[in-house]
Amino acid sequence: MIFQTSSNPIEDFLTILNSWDQIFSGFVMTMWLYAWALLIGFVIGLMLAILRQYGGRIISPIATGYIEIVRGTPMLVQLWLIYSLLLNPLGRGIWYTSFVFFGRDITLVFLNARIIICILTLSLNSSAYQAEYIRGAILSVSTGQLTAAQSLGMSKIAGIRHIVLPQALRRVIPSWSNEAAYLPKYTVIVSIIGVADIFNQAKNIGFQTLLYLPVYTFVAIIFLITITLISKALDVIHKRTARPGL
Amino acid sequence: MNKPVLRLVDIWKSYEDLEVLKGISFEVAEKQVKVVFGPSGSGKSTLLRCINMLDPPDKGEIYISGQSLMEPSVKLNKMRVKIGIVFQHFNLFAHLKAIDNVSIGLRKVKGFSKEEAHSKALDALMRVKLVEWADHYPAQLSGGQQQRVGIARALAMEPDLILFDEPTSALDPELIGEVLQVMLDIAKAGTTMLVVTHEMGFARAVASEMIFLDEGVIVERGTPNHFFESPKSERVKHFLRQIDVLYGRHEELLEPSDREVNK
Repeated sequence: MIFQTSSNPIEDFLTILNSWDQIFSGFVMTMWLYAWALLIGFVIGLMLAILRQYGGRIISPIATGYIEIVRGTPMLVQLWLIYSLLLNPLGRGIWYTSFVFFGRDITLVFLNARIIICILTLSLNSSAYQAEYIRGAILSVSTGQLTAAQSLGMSKIAGIRHIVLPQALRRVIPSWSNEAAYLPKYTVIVSIIGVADIFNQAKNIGFQTLLYLPVYTFVAIIFLITITLISKALDVIHKRTARPGL
Repeated sequence: MNKPVLRLVDIWKSYEDLEVLKGISFEVAEKQVKVVFGPSGSGKSTLLRCINMLDPPDKGEIYISGQSLMEPSVKLNKMRVKIGIVFQHFNLFAHLKAIDNVSIGLRKVKGFSKEEAHSKALDALMRVKLVEWADHYPAQLSGGQQQRVGIARALAMEPDLILFDEPTSALDPELIGEVLQVMLDIAKAGTTMLVVTHEMGFARAVASEMIFLDEGVIVERGTPNHFFESPKSERVKHFLRQIDVLYGRHEELLEPSDREVNK
């Protein structure tokens, strides 16, 4: 049976769908990594942007250096570096859940050493890109806004927090959407250190069924739908938070 | 004379090689309005930036209600609460409605509750006759309205002194009147004001003293009457003539034939 490849796309598709539990748990893993990377990347990126913009002569170049190094080196190298540094220290702990879902046993692993390494790599990488988007938006807020805030008696930090950032973060959404849309695709590199994301699961299904092209096409369609939904959601957020003239 | 709210003693300021202020000294007493004027580049805006220490002077003393701002121990953020500023380009917070532009300082700096800040902000908007525009964003207001919100924002903090940095020079001519009217109203209500402006009508109406600044020094100072009747220095005369031309009042420049036509 294994040597006999079907040429009927519908049959191929049904064969792949038979492994829906693997695709499902892989998709959950991909989204899990994505959500953490985007969130942590945003928090670090926001800090980097502020430090680069307002950090003065010592801190600002450090933030700039970090951003340039991360953006100028392959993420794969970053992944292997963090992997080699942290795999042993992180130990063998695992946090997972198992349940039966439509007659299949499904195991979702939330955290183990490799997943932590992936989340860390993806967020540190994403933070550099997010920092630059946010810094661009901060630069687009006129300096008179901070001057006015300070003239009311706000400290510089309070002015950044209450006046500059609320404007910059609204303005950043359209360009930041790029990062939010790219990042799900970047997560596929985690399959290289054996994390069971959707790409790794597709590879397994391909290995079992020899239907590599169909399963990768199927995964591509899942990415397409997911990313379209993310973009649409961000459009809605952008419109909801919009202010006249901003 | 009332006690001085602002006292400047020998203020010097330079940017690299360029000396912008060269020994400026004067006082503004409580409830007084003083007008600073002079050609572009004379150091007027720099002077205002020095007074609230956003750009501290290199040398000299600044006292706000008796407290020196040049002492290293002084808390500048606290002192800036006592100095309101109205900016040439309004600098309203673009993401906030008019009412929130006025109340945010009360809440975040003075620590008022949301309700208290809101009602104080409404009072301030009332004084600039913009209560019905409270829920509009800056981009939805005309330049004149934006500047009046800017004035309300400064008023609401109840500062000892309000600095005006050419408040009408970025406005379309037909919008200047409403801003000047508000400034006249608050001046007459006893607000201590230091106004950089070329609006001579405003100066004549409320200024107790006018200070002519050129190339970083006070060239001449005196009452509005002094300037309009008998200015001493040639530079002042020349400058006032230019202002007259700008406002279309100087007859010399009009050819007699033009005047005939205009009749």
